[in-house]
Amino acid sequence: MGWKNIKYEVKDNIGWITLNRPQKLNAINDAMSRELDEVLNQAEMDLEAKVLVFKGAGRAFSSGQDMSGVGTSEFLHPDPWSRVTSKELLEGERRRQRRWEYIFNMAKPTIAQVHGYCLGAGLNLAMVCDITIASEDATFGDLVTRMGILPTMPLWPWVVGMKKTREMLFTGRYFGAKEAESIGMVNKVVPVSKLDEEVLRWAQGIARLHSDGLAYAKDAINGVMECRGVGAAFRFTTDIQMAGLQRPAKAEDLAFYELRDKKGLRAALEARDAPFKNFP
Amino acid sequence: MPTGFGWDFRTQYQKNQWEAIEYRGRKYKDALYEKLTDNIARITLNRPERRNAFSDGLFNDTLAGFHEANDDPDVRVVILRGAGTSFGSGHELSSPTQEESPPINPALNPTGVDYYGLERRRCGKHEDVMNFPKIAIAQVHGYCIGASEIIAQMCDFVIAAEDAQFGVRGFGRFTFGIANWPGFWPAESQKAWGGHLMGEISGKASAERGLITKAVPGDQLEAEVMKWAQMICKMPPQALFFSKEWLNGITDITGMGTAWRQHYAEHLMLQYVHFRPEEVSMYKVRRDKGLKGFITQRAVEATPGKES
Repeated sequence: MGWKNIKYEVKDNIGWITLNRPQKLNAINDAMSRELDEVLNQAEMDLEAKVLVFKGAGRAFSSGQDMSGVGTSEFLHPDPWSRVTSKELLEGERRRQRRWEYIFNMAKPTIAQVHGYCLGAGLNLAMVCDITIASEDATFGDLVTRMGILPTMPLWPWVVGMKKTREMLFTGRYFGAKEAESIGMVNKVVPVSKLDEEVLRWAQGIARLHSDGLAYAKDAINGVMECRGVGAAFRFTTDIQMAGLQRPAKAEDLAFYELRDKKGLRAALEARDAPFKNFP
Repeated sequence: MPTGFGWDFRTQYQKNQWEAIEYRGRKYKDALYEKLTDNIARITLNRPERRNAFSDGLFNDTLAGFHEANDDPDVRVVILRGAGTSFGSGHELSSPTQEESPPINPALNPTGVDYYGLERRRCGKHEDVMNFPKIAIAQVHGYCIGASEIIAQMCDFVIAAEDAQFGVRGFGRFTFGIANWPGFWPAESQKAWGGHLMGEISGKASAERGLITKAVPGDQLEAEVMKWAQMICKMPPQALFFSKEWLNGITDITGMGTAWRQHYAEHLMLQYVHFRPEEVSMYKVRRDKGLKGFITQRAVEATPGKES
């Protein structure tokens, strides 16, 4: 209770979880991720909430990890070349991974209501939800590879297939709602003005079902996914991330964090995307 | 273990066959290797008179090219394309009996162990492309059939002309033949599954089903591929290497290794198939009518409706 960065309310058996840092496009920092953990802990126990909807306050769902470096030491990956011990790296990596895996496996259905930016960790959140409904203005992308950090969401190949996974992650490009829908990242795209109404309709439909039945159904689906290796993929992702974060720096690597600290976040983001202006 | 085919344990079971194929001082012939820029290498399958059907010579030159690209620290992307009218027509079915690229001629009557070993080695060449540590882009035009389709699918990106023709013809039955199992992996959807169960589909239809990355009009193909290659060159290569290894690891977790073995076994099972009278047996028809006669008869008897 007393959450600042997350709002949680339950109405008519639907639990609404709102990312609430609109002035920062709901960038996720340590404070927000901690509050999110607490909210999820409560929502999971909450018998009144039969389905959970994640949404963003203001102009975007979430622009991803807060990369400002202020209050982000837990949620943001450390600088690939900072002197962090392997144990610290592994703990941090596991904590981040297990949060996604936990949401993926929560015993009640989850819906991501996406508008505006849905990038990086924001996209991770949308991907671990059972259903994603987006408005036409939504912009997706996982750009970490451009910064020399490895992708962190092992569900990609299962959600959009291997070719599209490689395309999106090896180029780190942005893609729109229509394309997200066509590759299976999103269940449905609606006009901006219809998004609230559409999500409410889906959530109401789900909330009419028996909650135990919903839990079993989700567990059956996730059980199949576990057989297909999702659990192992989460663990493997943690380990290869460790290797990637400790690799030797080369001249061709963008020193994103260093640039951010010297010239500011905006300049660093521009330097990250500048080489790709003329590409798809 | 003597195999009866002259291949020793090392060449059958080593991880990457290209590591043993020398490129230094090589005179490339069946496949050509060139550097387009400091960071972009291109391998051109170069048997246009055979629609780039894979013979041993073509496989060796191709893998030597991958070896060279791997060893060149500047290379970040490899483009694979075909000379002439097509990307490739699959295995060279008229290769000499002792070559390992085409299906084994039953006249050799190999033991099961020999045959499985051969398959492991033969299909291992496809896996080598998948496990190549740098990014590979297949630039596909014209026919991309059978083994050529697998080689293309093993590349990280497949960019094709809209009228390219993907498919598996097998060598006895039409739509299934040798099930191209590894080719199922790139996409997880009913659409993709159905796409693969069809005999042949166009580049455009393949892109719509998520089997390939993108389809463009044929006259824009080369420029489009270069655009993607240049974009990849701007990415941090180490991060790409780890990301690719990560995705290949996940593919392994989902059973890719078993699928390859299934693929070897499929070949063996097909070796022992008994054809019904109304079915086309390549070996019988080829014996009676020659390879051209077989292909003509197969086309007449079993051409499915072509997709878009």
